[in-house]
Amino acid sequence: MRRLLAALLVLAVAGGLLAWRVPPRADLVEFLPAGRTPASAFLFRELRSGAATTLLLAAIEGAPREELARLSRETAAGLRASGRFAFVGDGSLRIAEAEEAFLFRHRYLLSPDTVPESFTAAALRPKLEALLDGLRSAAAPLLARFGFADPTGAFLGLAAGWLDDSRIESADGAWFAPREEGRGARALLVARGQGAGLDAEAQQAAMDAFRAAFEAARPGEARLLLSGPGVFAAAAAAQIRGDVEMITLASAALLGAFLFWRFRSPMLLGAVAVPLLAATVAGYAAAAALFGSVHAISLGFGMTMLGVTVDYPILLLTLRRPDETLAEAAARIWPTLRLAAVSAAAGLLAMLGSGLPGLVQIGVFAGAGLLAAAATTCWGLPRLIPAGARIAARPLPGWMSRALAALRGRRRWAFGAILAALAVLAATGGPPWQRDLAALSPIPAAQQALDGELRGQLGAPDVRSLFVIGPGTEAEVLARSEALSAAIRPLVGRGLLAGLDLPSRYLPSPGLQRQRQAALPDSGALAGAIRSAAEGLPFRPTAFAPFLAAVEESRTWPTLDAAGFAEGAPTISARLSPLISRHGGQVWGIAPASGVTDPAALEAAARALNLPGVLFLDVKLEMERLLADYGATTLRWAMAGAALVVALLMAGLRGLRAGMVVALPIGGAVVVALAVLALSGEAIGLFHLAALLLLAGLAIDYSLFLAIRDSDQAPPQNAPANGGGPHCDDHRPGAVLTCAISTLLTFGLLALCDTPVLHGIGLTVAVGVAAAFLLACALSAPARER
Amino acid sequence: MRRRLTLALLISGPALAQEDELSQLMRSLAAVRERRDRFTEERAIPELDLPLPNEGTLSWSAPDRLEKHTLSPIDERLTVSGGRLLYERRDRDVRREFSLADQPEMQALVEAIRGTLAGDLPALRRHYEVALEGRHDDAWRLVLRPTSMRIRASVQRILVTGQGAQPTGVDTEGHGGVTRMRIRPGP
Repeated sequence: MRRLLAALLVLAVAGGLLAWRVPPRADLVEFLPAGRTPASAFLFRELRSGAATTLLLAAIEGAPREELARLSRETAAGLRASGRFAFVGDGSLRIAEAEEAFLFRHRYLLSPDTVPESFTAAALRPKLEALLDGLRSAAAPLLARFGFADPTGAFLGLAAGWLDDSRIESADGAWFAPREEGRGARALLVARGQGAGLDAEAQQAAMDAFRAAFEAARPGEARLLLSGPGVFAAAAAAQIRGDVEMITLASAALLGAFLFWRFRSPMLLGAVAVPLLAATVAGYAAAAALFGSVHAISLGFGMTMLGVTVDYPILLLTLRRPDETLAEAAARIWPTLRLAAVSAAAGLLAMLGSGLPGLVQIGVFAGAGLLAAAATTCWGLPRLIPAGARIAARPLPGWMSRALAALRGRRRWAFGAILAALAVLAATGGPPWQRDLAALSPIPAAQQALDGELRGQLGAPDVRSLFVIGPGTEAEVLARSEALSAAIRPLVGRGLLAGLDLPSRYLPSPGLQRQRQAALPDSGALAGAIRSAAEGLPFRPTAFAPFLAAVEESRTWPTLDAAGFAEGAPTISARLSPLISRHGGQVWGIAPASGVTDPAALEAAARALNLPGVLFLDVKLEMERLLADYGATTLRWAMAGAALVVALLMAGLRGLRAGMVVALPIGGAVVVALAVLALSGEAIGLFHLAALLLLAGLAIDYSLFLAIRDSDQAPPQNAPANGGGPHCDDHRPGAVLTCAISTLLTFGLLALCDTPVLHGIGLTVAVGVAAAFLLACALSAPARER
Repeated sequence: MRRRLTLALLISGPALAQEDELSQLMRSLAAVRERRDRFTEERAIPELDLPLPNEGTLSWSAPDRLEKHTLSPIDERLTVSGGRLLYERRDRDVRREFSLADQPEMQALVEAIRGTLAGDLPALRRHYEVALEGRHDDAWRLVLRPTSMRIRASVQRILVTGQGAQPTGVDTEGHGGVTRMRIRPGP
């Protein structure tokens, strides 16, 4: 007992050290697929860790409008004061004087109205008339300030285009969602965190800062609703963590109680824990060594898969004969155990071959763990458990033994069940393939709905359909963005999209800026045009001197680049920066599309534009295709894995028939599990495939250990043949039943989870394990009468 | 009331007298809860040869509602109520609502008139140095100078003139130009 505890302590310390040196990562960046093309790879990376992750959308509701406006203003002020946010958008958004002066100075380079035609007398005349009209109105102070230096309205046009989101109702320094019957008022805010991208921790900190700013505004009854990628990540993490914690605790307690009830031996619990812990440490070490880090999901999922290893010590201890030492028993069952572990590991081949980074990591983790667990069970446990200690399962209740005995040898039942399952699959066409990623998302539907609602109300593009521009230099990306801006107009006209937020909307390419400079007339020509345009209007001859000076000056300004723009115009630049991304020396541009109803049609139309260096990507479509690709690859590798497992079994059991007998319950269990999934309407995805592999791994254990007795009748050279004996006949189904129930306890709980992935895995494995056990029993030789 | 004002002026020292007189004036202005006046306005801008004329109605309703409705030559209505400003130009189909706090220049201009009509000296002093000068008989003249540097960039001085409890003119000087508003009681 002391040695067992010492071993557990050593393993725990090793695991602790390992986790301390290489802590598990929580962000999804390296876990998810990288993308099929450079552009989609860029986009996925950008969406997961780029500027998109810094966005926070917020709504305040549950108070009268005036109170909401006050809360919104004070929250926004708090956010700006926190220094954590590069940009805070609300109804009080204003441009500082220095920035205004900068933009005013550069107005003719930035304004799309800078074309030769704008500066003719004919074009200037209506502008001057409008100026006169404006000077009569209450806006006169504003126009007196800008109008004479900028009679064409280039600056006010720019400001309106950048800042006026006409969709949002602005009142009292706050943005309000459109009024709706039966719903209270809702103030809206948007904030963008500092930096190009945020990890989970920084996202959490930004959310906390937001909530703190809201609390500081003394909200009373009012509520703050937050959304955005960071909120999603945190919600997903919390949901998964909650589920995993619940499962871990509940299943450990249930499993412990069950094993204790079966064996009445605390030592057994230790004996079960040692290989499990060793497997986890080995799997973690292998994954860390291969990938540099281990993802929290790999750890969680991998450990679930390593739950299989609980079987090994149970089998060893229950299959030990009364006259054997543990070491002798271990040596006897080692060939079978080895075969089981190697076959289960081979079954993981599909994960390794899938190419999906997360699955590969889980495969490595579980594969290394399985082999380590088998080795620990056979070579470690006999040394750890005192020679005198006898751990034996208590006899099964009588009715259960009788039921098991009755089940054995019922091959027709087994074939009938498998055939029925096949018929179900044929009739239903199998379970539908999981296409909608949202269904996999652990984020509650209400949170997803809120996000869609806020994006709609704020006019923030749903980062779903985008154009990716680049890579190239900044000037190239901006020039391509301009080409796209022109080319997209007919598509907007056809209603394929409502609009595009392009980088060139904020900053024109250097080429276009130079083109605009060339379009500016010289002082003499402009003075002539103004003179004839102002004829008959009450303007003094010198009124437009500042205009003439500004145009002349603009003709020789150095062109603006993103860095200069960010320095001079931080507020407007906050709109630009999420659309431009730098990786190494390369620049990418992003142009989110709004109002897309049919992404596939837009994709086709965008392809027909044939713009070099511009690619349309619909994230959902792309993800679906990617998953379909991965799914097909995984399926192919799963077939290869299955073939390998059968080959291994046949080689290990030295016989085609023996191999098939063992393989049949495994395949049967997979078929039954699929049929049940099809009947329950569950769409299957990659994680279900992984679960099927896990199930196959478990089924191998049951099938092998129930079948060894069959080999008594098989040719004597069969390796495990000497393992079976009539006297332990009763132990075997009981031992395997113990294993199966242990697994059922764990995965049955998993099926109760809310996280779709965990639920799917739990359901698949629980159904499959029950089927595998029953099939393996029914397909094994009938119990002998004694 | 006129007699009392004159009396106060005679009795007190000059500075104290002015302060006292100012409060007297404010009290008499505050006593009028509702007003409906007509105005004419001329905006002289250095860049223009001739001033631009405007006319319309000015309505006041205590404690804080002021409406300036320009009828000619454009149709423009500014309604201030509490901290909110509603700007409407029906001939252009424009309707915007602002918070006065977000429009400091506009707020200063509004408070000059509204503070006077309300007889609210503290409100005037939040934005201006207030001086009462040039009293002849019942007529008075308030000189308002913006306290904020930012406002002073666009408005240097506002002169509010009146007769008894009736304001008669608001001259706003700034940007090298002046806007002269004449007010008379009207329908």
